[in-house]
Amino acid sequence: MDGCRSGVPTYEGDLHVVAAAHHIVKALGATKNLSDDLRKILIDLDSHLSMITSNIDSKGGRGLVDVEERLDQAERKIMRWETDPMMIWDSGPKEASDYLEAVDETGKLVDGLRGLSVHENRKQKEILHRAMNIFQTAMSRLEEELIHILVRHGQQFEPKNMYSRSIRKDIVYDESFVSVEDEPTKETSSQNCSNDESGECIVDLVHADVIPDIKSIAKVMFTSNYGPEFCEAFISVQKEALEQYFSFLGTEYLSIEDVLKMEWTCLSSKMNKWTWSMKIIVRVYLASEKQLCDQVLGGLGSVSSYCFLEISKATILCLLNFGEAVAMGPHRPEKLLRLLDMYETLADLLRDIDTLFSEEAGSFIQLQFHELLERLGESAIAAFKAFRVAISSNGSLYPFAGGGVHPLNKYVMNYIRMFPEYWNTLNLLLKNQHPGVADQVTKPDYGPDTSLLTSCPMAYHLRSITSCLESNLHKKSQLYKDEALQHIFLMNNIHYLVQKVKGSELRLFFGDEWIRKHNAMFQQHAMNYERATWSSVVSFLKDNNPGSSSMSKSTFKERCKGFSIAFEEVYKTQTSWSIPDPQLREDLRISTSLKVVLAYRTFLGRNLAYTDDKCVKHTVEHVENLLLDLFGGSSRSLRNSRRW
Amino acid sequence: MPATDYQASFLGRISIRRNQVIAMDGNHEQELQDLELFSKHVSERFAELLSSPDDIPFDALLSISWLRKLLDFFLCCEAEFKGVLMMGNDPSQISKPPLDRLIPEFLDRSVKALDVCNAVTNGLESVRHYQQLAEIVVSALEQKPIGDGQSRRAKKALTSLMSAMNVDDKECSAAKATERSWSFSRRGVSSKDRVPEHFRSVSNQVAKNWSAAKQIQAMTNNLVPPRGAEGSGLASPVYTMSVIMVFVMWALVAAIPCQERNGLSAIHFPAPKQLNWAQSIIGLHEKIGEEWKKKEKKGTAGLLDEMQKMEKLGNILMDFTDSFQFHGDITDQKAEEAAARSAELAETCRRMEEGLLPLQIQIREVFHRIVKTRTELLNALDRVGKSSPPLL
Repeated sequence: MDGCRSGVPTYEGDLHVVAAAHHIVKALGATKNLSDDLRKILIDLDSHLSMITSNIDSKGGRGLVDVEERLDQAERKIMRWETDPMMIWDSGPKEASDYLEAVDETGKLVDGLRGLSVHENRKQKEILHRAMNIFQTAMSRLEEELIHILVRHGQQFEPKNMYSRSIRKDIVYDESFVSVEDEPTKETSSQNCSNDESGECIVDLVHADVIPDIKSIAKVMFTSNYGPEFCEAFISVQKEALEQYFSFLGTEYLSIEDVLKMEWTCLSSKMNKWTWSMKIIVRVYLASEKQLCDQVLGGLGSVSSYCFLEISKATILCLLNFGEAVAMGPHRPEKLLRLLDMYETLADLLRDIDTLFSEEAGSFIQLQFHELLERLGESAIAAFKAFRVAISSNGSLYPFAGGGVHPLNKYVMNYIRMFPEYWNTLNLLLKNQHPGVADQVTKPDYGPDTSLLTSCPMAYHLRSITSCLESNLHKKSQLYKDEALQHIFLMNNIHYLVQKVKGSELRLFFGDEWIRKHNAMFQQHAMNYERATWSSVVSFLKDNNPGSSSMSKSTFKERCKGFSIAFEEVYKTQTSWSIPDPQLREDLRISTSLKVVLAYRTFLGRNLAYTDDKCVKHTVEHVENLLLDLFGGSSRSLRNSRRW
Repeated sequence: MPATDYQASFLGRISIRRNQVIAMDGNHEQELQDLELFSKHVSERFAELLSSPDDIPFDALLSISWLRKLLDFFLCCEAEFKGVLMMGNDPSQISKPPLDRLIPEFLDRSVKALDVCNAVTNGLESVRHYQQLAEIVVSALEQKPIGDGQSRRAKKALTSLMSAMNVDDKECSAAKATERSWSFSRRGVSSKDRVPEHFRSVSNQVAKNWSAAKQIQAMTNNLVPPRGAEGSGLASPVYTMSVIMVFVMWALVAAIPCQERNGLSAIHFPAPKQLNWAQSIIGLHEKIGEEWKKKEKKGTAGLLDEMQKMEKLGNILMDFTDSFQFHGDITDQKAEEAAARSAELAETCRRMEEGLLPLQIQIREVFHRIVKTRTELLNALDRVGKSSPPLL
């Protein structure tokens, strides 16, 4: 620097040149992206010019007196604020610009005096030291003003409306499989903000009105070599503001040990909160912070990105650590959806992160994001596998009473109903994962209607999951001693499966062929049930000798009695069985009616001669009505309701 | 870097071994050789760390570069440890006594180490702040000629620096952090350069009530050298690696500002001197422990060599600025001395600028490595555990 300063020229009065030069300096000062070298030259030039106007010569004299007067003036302006309890920038723009002017003047005097060979002149040296002293006071004051402005005009934004919290219903996976019956409210997080370019989400972390003030302080501090002070103060305030915002979001700092020990319900809500906070912090807060840094420090080379990194690093790492802890935890199946939420959020934010931390120093943060994304992906796959293992290994010792829809089935189907929402992510993650043993079962032998959706990785895995479920249900059906009940159980459960698929987006992935096949399956079980239950009952009504017009009375009596006993036995047992779906229940009753009532009516019609006999205990209408009591889920007995 | 050489040659050896068909008899012998080699490398590495000459500032004990070397060695030892443990001939060994107890304990220790890594990473943010303040001091004292203004500038930054280091030391718990506020109390203050009554301390980005000392103490739970027949089996590398892990975490906590370090020097981990590999670790533990005890009395933000230098130089320069303000001027001799100290401080800052981020990245690498090994061990345990048929 010193090399640039030769002796001070003593041309006098060339005010035009001075004015022109000042103009140039001003014009250049307003442009951004000044290179450091150019800036330095201009500063030197500026101080040279100011020296020219004050007409100092190296021997002191009149010039020095001028300088002293100017310094006195500047000092008065600067020092008067030292006893004033008011902050300068709070006092009004005039005060602020006066102050900056005085600082500028002092700075010029310092630079000019330094340019002279001060050692030769005691007086000059004194003035220089005095000027530097005043200058330090001013710089120190500017730092205070900066902090004051940042704190006073710092704005917190309400995050509530930014991203509506995703309220996808939590499904609690537990042994009892409770509370999964209800249809989960289909609530996807509104992504109104994320779809826009990030520019839409930027808020003013510091009130826009004071940005020019901060900029002017930055300008004067950096040109005076007080850049480190500016950065230190700026980083301190902004870093703390971010930390405060972080706790304002309700995010706490948790150790990895704490996260690993956490109860699932608690962890699940923390995972939700993380997803939400991550979006707001990265897409809104950090994007805005970055803008603030650029606004204030743009044109100062890497200073802006340096400050941004220092401000944000700790909070980012803190957020990442929670993600790491979650990914490390046991891969329980219930974690899958929350993990996918986290994965999707992170994947969605990668582009923002890469932009925010594009500088070399920030590549460390970028890398951490990419690593966490990978880890969450692995964790999600592991949870997915665990889900399937949990389905196939869900064991029961006792048959499920009534043969209705098994809780496992409800749980699984309500759970996988959510999968289509994560279609893209699941496809990506499952691409290289083989469904495993169930592979052959799930390979669809679909004809030409095979759509893209039914052949995507997720579709394979979905079918693999349901086939796991089906084989488990088959195992569970074996626990019933009564063959008919086995069929009722399977009919109910497969019907439920099909209904769930048909009634949701799952149908697109399972395909019509699958639905047809499974429709046929539960219908087959319905037929098997009828055969298993009613063939023997109806056999009493069969005419063994179709040629003859009627049977003997004793045979009729015997048959009638046999039928009644068998029917009542069925009635007693099967009223306790359950078909939860009303339509399915109705259908089965009708088809049973058709078979039984028709046979009974025919039987009685053929033997009209004996029908007034007491041996006919049930009229056709009575039988028809009794059939309506079946599958109601509560056992009834004819002995209780009617006199035998 | 020698550390990566170790790793490369070691991994190379493993891959050769895996491709070899070893006779059943050779297996046990091979395992013994592996164990021996593992502890040999451990003792070599830590001997190198112990012999770090104090007079070469770059490599001094607990300097940034020393810590980086320590972490490098940790990563090497860890890689070898995993090799010894997982490339073993009988994978089911890890689920049999005594490993069925030792491995879960080791995993528990790993998780605790992860939290230490995070706390230390966070502590490095404070060190980064010291660096910023020290850079201001350097920048002020660089100006020629040094006048009252520059000396005041330096003093202001020095005051912040010393208080920041002091606050960080006075157990900057979360409670303290919440009290922070920006206030200058302008009214009635006559001091020329007010230092804000706010010191950026270790940010509260560590769980409340978390204590580094307690964490490390907890890592030493159940940490006992294998006895009798166990000593020749896989129990011994698990023990060795545990000791290394505890030591590395302990050293990091001693060096870098961390939440709650009371009683750090009281932590003992039983590493019997007769174990060859342990000697250097014991030596280092004693040496650092002594340092810590010395500093514990008067308080320190950490034993990081660069920080201690900063503190020392800061004190000298503080005296200088004080005398400057008292006398209004200084002798040339004093100015020269101050310039020399300032140059030293500049050098320390430079080393921090060069080393802090890489150190932070390396701690992160250690973090990821521990996570990875933990996952692999859990998977291995899971696979072995799968042999029992599921219920139904």
